[in-house]
Amino acid sequence: MTAPGDVEGLELRKLGSGVVIVLAGVGLGFTALLMTARNGVTEWPFVLTFGFLIAIGEMVQFKVDRSRNRAPIATSAALAYAMLRGPSLATPPDVAQIIAVTFVATMVGVGPRAIAGLRWDLVVSCRRVLSVACAAVVFAAVTPADLSWNGSWRHAFPLILAMLLGVLTAGVVDALVGAGQATERYNKPFPASLRDELMVMGQIGMAMGLGGVILAAGTSLLGLWAPPLVVVPLLLTQFAFRRFASAQRTYRTTVRSMARSTEIAGFSSPGQNARTAALAVAIGNDLGLTPARMEALEYAALLSGVGQLALADPSPGGASLLRSREERQQAAEIGASIIERSGVLDHVAEIVRHSNDPYRQGRANNSDIPLESGIVNVSLAYEQLVGEGTGQSPDKAMESIGLGIGAEYDPVVVESLRRVIGRGFRF
Amino acid sequence: MRRVALRTFVSLATLLALLILGLACGQVSDLWTLLALCLLMLIGGFLRFSVAPNYLASLDSVVLMTVYVIAGPWAAVIAAAVAYLPQVRRRIPLIRRVFNGAQRILATAAGGIAYTLAGGPVGDSALSHEGRAIFATTAATLAQHVANAALVCLVIWIDGKASPVEFLRQVVLPTFLPMAGYGFLGLLLAVLWLGGLGPLAGLVVLVPLLFARWALSQYEVEKTAQAATMRAFIQVIETKDLYTRGHSERVSEGVGMLGRFLRLSEDRQNALEHAGLLHDVGKVGVPTSIIQKPGRLDDSEMDAIRLHPARGVELIGNIPFLEEVKSAVLHHHEKFDGTGYPAGLSGTNIPYFARIIGIVDAFDCLTSTRSYRPARSVEETLAILEQDKNSHFDPGLVDAFVRLIKKDGWKAAEVDQPAPDANVQAGFDHDDLSLGSSGGASGSAAGPT
Repeated sequence: MTAPGDVEGLELRKLGSGVVIVLAGVGLGFTALLMTARNGVTEWPFVLTFGFLIAIGEMVQFKVDRSRNRAPIATSAALAYAMLRGPSLATPPDVAQIIAVTFVATMVGVGPRAIAGLRWDLVVSCRRVLSVACAAVVFAAVTPADLSWNGSWRHAFPLILAMLLGVLTAGVVDALVGAGQATERYNKPFPASLRDELMVMGQIGMAMGLGGVILAAGTSLLGLWAPPLVVVPLLLTQFAFRRFASAQRTYRTTVRSMARSTEIAGFSSPGQNARTAALAVAIGNDLGLTPARMEALEYAALLSGVGQLALADPSPGGASLLRSREERQQAAEIGASIIERSGVLDHVAEIVRHSNDPYRQGRANNSDIPLESGIVNVSLAYEQLVGEGTGQSPDKAMESIGLGIGAEYDPVVVESLRRVIGRGFRF
Repeated sequence: MRRVALRTFVSLATLLALLILGLACGQVSDLWTLLALCLLMLIGGFLRFSVAPNYLASLDSVVLMTVYVIAGPWAAVIAAAVAYLPQVRRRIPLIRRVFNGAQRILATAAGGIAYTLAGGPVGDSALSHEGRAIFATTAATLAQHVANAALVCLVIWIDGKASPVEFLRQVVLPTFLPMAGYGFLGLLLAVLWLGGLGPLAGLVVLVPLLFARWALSQYEVEKTAQAATMRAFIQVIETKDLYTRGHSERVSEGVGMLGRFLRLSEDRQNALEHAGLLHDVGKVGVPTSIIQKPGRLDDSEMDAIRLHPARGVELIGNIPFLEEVKSAVLHHHEKFDGTGYPAGLSGTNIPYFARIIGIVDAFDCLTSTRSYRPARSVEETLAILEQDKNSHFDPGLVDAFVRLIKKDGWKAAEVDQPAPDANVQAGFDHDDLSLGSSGGASGSAAGPT
């Protein structure tokens, strides 16, 4: 499945609102650069150190989740540069200089990646420039100019509160922009996207933000001794996180590969599982499911046919609509018990178990059966009607699925399918 | 003898630790700061995370650096003792609990000596002597970890059950640098504390540490999940044939033993175990009717069997394993003399992992029950391997495997398998050496036909 969200580099056709974000980021960056050039740069050593950190952080970025690029060190360093104070700095950088440094360093960091052919994403980088700009504005606005880290709690407490407020601003701005983008790409309702983004902000975002706070406070107190002290632990954490992200990717591809075993065994036509899963994911996004439920849904759709492996003979063309209901439910039950055996995919097993239950005998009366089962059921049916080989038109397929509303299929899911197809979803 | 030596050593260490602790108690000046630091140490002590399999590190060694800087080495000794208190309740033998406590105090004292020798500033002066503070903190971290490792090594050596070198190699070396790196956060905590935040600084610094801990634990979670999923999947494929049940897992275990015997690096060891588990995954593409067919197979059926290594690679091709896993799955039916399939490779042209899997694969097949014959004994099977070692297998690896099995033994196939069926003339297992040219060997291991 190639999700429409896998934008890499600059592909204007797919960017959508990304164009606006890039234009805003670059415009803001150049304006700040011009202002800084006219006013002169203050405290060059700090400009160079933090610019260097941001550029390096950008260069060693990595990919988490499906499409999010992360450069935690760049984010922490940029946030920290926005919140520096005395005694180390005689004059803290003004907002224009902060934005200019972040912008230039980010571009310097992206450059080598683009040249080396590594994954890069200008939209994500520009999102960072925008959110750091917001943090800088808020921090500058709430912090009186005479506050500095002089060892007294009367100064330290207001400063740390202002820093936390700045970091929070950056997080919320980034979550809003990210939610907007998710809504645009995956047609996920905005509140659901915002909820997901805020949850991510509470975990990774908080760690990055507090990393910035520590770096800023440490540098304000110790001068340029502090950045290496903070960057070493941050790098270690990033390394651990990267390892985790790659283990997660391995795991996901393992499940996908397992799903293809039914194709190799001749129980389903090539790509059938992937098509079913793509549709199930589109419906799940439309219904605003949480990331955890989305993941289980995708796995369940991919693995829904795995129970057939225990049946003796492949059905021709993998058309499970042609089998009797008893046989399909039996296969689903076997599949569920196979998946359950792994001990880590219990929720997926539950979805698969009920994925062939008709709505009237299943979900309509038993609220324990997950909504995802209904989604997989409808996706399987639609794929059977429209997918390769059978090739009905989407309208005709919608019509025959519409006949089963309430009896065979969950009305909520069919309504969602209608929206998804109406927006132009094609296999 | 060892017991007495161990007890003497632990008693001596404990006496020394108590002495140091007593001296430290006489040096307390600022009680409130010390209390706050102890509280922070306690919190750090609760947040343990695994830095290596079976080895937990706790964050209190990070907080310990803070205590050196803010209140000096003597206070650090007291704080370390307090932070150990909650762990007294852990369910391990008394002698280990006592030793762990003494070990902490002694290591902290060693760190404190290093800190003082390096001229580390204590209290507010740390803010104006940054370079010195960093140098002394690094020295203290090193000294503390070295003392810790040395004490544990001594105990392991006296106890004689495990090898201290293994402990150093598996636990100390990989964790040394990360723990030293995180130690810098302890210094920063002290700086923020002295810079006016006081104990609140603990909150700011511990959150990124918690996140690091979460990331580390998630890695293990994903790894376990993947292993469990692969095993469940393999079991599905094995349901096609009752007789091969558990085969893949036993092969994975066997190649794992051989891999450790050959001292592979950890990455390659994992890859080898994965390859052993997945080597027959392509059988899912072989029609069940052929797999379960009693009697000999004709050529077209045999061709279907011969496809299974390529099918396997097709299936796992997208999983980001080491390249060696895929080549092992593809070539595990090659023979040393070049008569195997699918490519007819010979000698060392066959990938290393494929040669290893070929041996264990044949071994497990022969020691398991088949529909047409009972299981063979381990000695009998080893003799067959020895006989075929130049035609089928890599002779060097066979020698290693034979030595390993003679030394460590082999858990016989204990999975409940159906008894051999006397009515079956010549069943079929594509791994079976005792069958004619179609499946495996000829001559020496001639089977029941």
